[in-house]
Amino acid sequence: MSDPAIALMMLGLFIFIILLGFPIAFTLMGMGVGFGFYAYFQVGQDFFDSRVFYLLTQNTWSIMSNDVLVAVPLFLFMGYVVERSNILEKLFYSLQVALRHIPGSLAVAALLTCAMFATATGIVGAVVTLMGLLAFPVMLKSGYDQKLSAGVICAGGTLGILIPPSIMLIVYSATASVSVVKLYAAAMVPGFLLAGLYVAYVITRAVLNPKLTPPLPKEATDVSWGTAILLLVKAFVPLAVLIFSVLGSILFGLATPTEAAAVGAAGALALAAAYRALTWQRLREAVYLTSRTSAMVCFLFVGSWTFSSVFSYLGGESLIKDFVLGMNLNTVMFLMLSQLIIFLLGWPLEWSEIIIIFVPIFLPLLKHFEVDPLMFGILVALNLQTSFLTPPLAMSAYYLKGIAPPHIELWTIFKGCFPFLGMVFVTMAMVYIFPQLVFWLPQVIYGR
Amino acid sequence: MVKTITLGIDQLSRMVGHAFAWCIIILTFGTSYEVFVRYALNDPTSWAFDMSYLLYGALFFMGGAYTLSRDGHVRGDFIYRMWQPRAQACIDLTLYILFFFPGVLALMYAGWGYGIEAFRIREVSVNSPVGIPVWQLKLLIPFGAALLTLQGLSEVLRCIMCIKDNRWAPRLHDVEELENVIIAEHSGRTAADKGDAK
Repeated sequence: MSDPAIALMMLGLFIFIILLGFPIAFTLMGMGVGFGFYAYFQVGQDFFDSRVFYLLTQNTWSIMSNDVLVAVPLFLFMGYVVERSNILEKLFYSLQVALRHIPGSLAVAALLTCAMFATATGIVGAVVTLMGLLAFPVMLKSGYDQKLSAGVICAGGTLGILIPPSIMLIVYSATASVSVVKLYAAAMVPGFLLAGLYVAYVITRAVLNPKLTPPLPKEATDVSWGTAILLLVKAFVPLAVLIFSVLGSILFGLATPTEAAAVGAAGALALAAAYRALTWQRLREAVYLTSRTSAMVCFLFVGSWTFSSVFSYLGGESLIKDFVLGMNLNTVMFLMLSQLIIFLLGWPLEWSEIIIIFVPIFLPLLKHFEVDPLMFGILVALNLQTSFLTPPLAMSAYYLKGIAPPHIELWTIFKGCFPFLGMVFVTMAMVYIFPQLVFWLPQVIYGR
Repeated sequence: MVKTITLGIDQLSRMVGHAFAWCIIILTFGTSYEVFVRYALNDPTSWAFDMSYLLYGALFFMGGAYTLSRDGHVRGDFIYRMWQPRAQACIDLTLYILFFFPGVLALMYAGWGYGIEAFRIREVSVNSPVGIPVWQLKLLIPFGAALLTLQGLSEVLRCIMCIKDNRWAPRLHDVEELENVIIAEHSGRTAADKGDAK
């Protein structure tokens, strides 16, 4: 068998093992070593002199000393601390009061709370379950449409992996060697565009069909502006300041993403302390969860880099490249195909695996199709929103179902997610048709 | 007896993972300190950059076995979840032997040579003139890999027990992701409500 054929077999075997459900990081590492032995085999060479050993430690060391990925545990830690800081309830209440005169105010407040909290924590599951317990029952009790209420929470919570400072973009940056700073700048407009579309959609539905979002009782809206502003200052402003100082210092080059993440984590600790939520127990939880999630992400990198070095050494990468080029696609068709594959992968897999393992397959092709890796990254980031919202394996819907009252059916939640899915696709199309949405902010800040 | 061994190994992995997890606190405040002195005192440190990845590398690498002990390494488990525990254990056992051990043993062997060489020359960072030592992080590679191997052994024993009993032995508990805690609490509560109704 020729080497590229072996590489193809390697890829096939890998996909098969993923389907069997074995921890992916170690599947990659084991297969990298096994096939590496074959790839670097030299007659007469001692078993222990194989180049695969060198490759493995070099890749491990590159990940351990990677100055981009350092920001991952810091942002995770910030997220886990904010998650435990008792801020969510206050934030939701303050926004609810502030927006009380807007049509569908509860749904808009829930959406904005989700988006903001998810931006600060970056952890989708926690946002959806917390808001599912906090805001979902309130909306149902006020007679809000079940589907709309469910969609708002699922879609709003999922925004956290897109809007900077998001961990997903750091991981993409390490995979694609694009600067995190530029990615953050590029993701700002599309992220806010998507969030804005969500808000506009909710308000439009509320105006067109007031039965979906019955007005709140008089006593709930009868709050003075002074009280409303005070509530905002107590809950909304501190979190907003935290997010914007982290983001601002990155975008304007005052601090590296790592430094901003560290200051953000310190700020989150201060915030939690100010809300009297910083107990020893919670700090320990945040610290240990940070270690576990960082290990999960970074070992995936160790495995993936080892696997892909061997894969491309065997000629697998150029085989795929030739195959795709042989299909004579134009740029639009290539983008559609790649995004469709990523969309489908998003059903069974999570964003971390998709970005670390599968996105690198497309990266060498970008140059040929004249797609900027920045643009591709934003499209992927938008696309991965759908992996949380698309049935049958929509994680956000399952989280919400897990804590929703029993009479809310899973299918109702799915139906609630559909319009938001549609808006994700609209945003992806807009980003492609108007590339300035992606490139404008990086150009303004960094010149090109 | 077997249970004692697996729980013992789990405890060791957890202890090491927890110990290194606290690096995040030093990382947070160390890096914040650098930002502070750079802007407030106009006097940047020469060690902050090296410190950041040294702590991060140790944090995630030594957390690998702990994460494995809590089944925290991501699986594409949408089919896996539907199987009987015994079938899950058979598959896991085979794949541990086929993929896991070759990978981590290779890392342990190769990491040993790599780490010892760094230790022998007391390797320092090239990023700043002050010469922050980096050999200790390189030397962690074989130890982290050894701990992973050991934890893999515990997982294999757990698979064998599960093949015998057709149910997974309980794991050590420390913390869970918030969403899992909330969902577990909630389903416990609805179950309790139903119990009351009867």
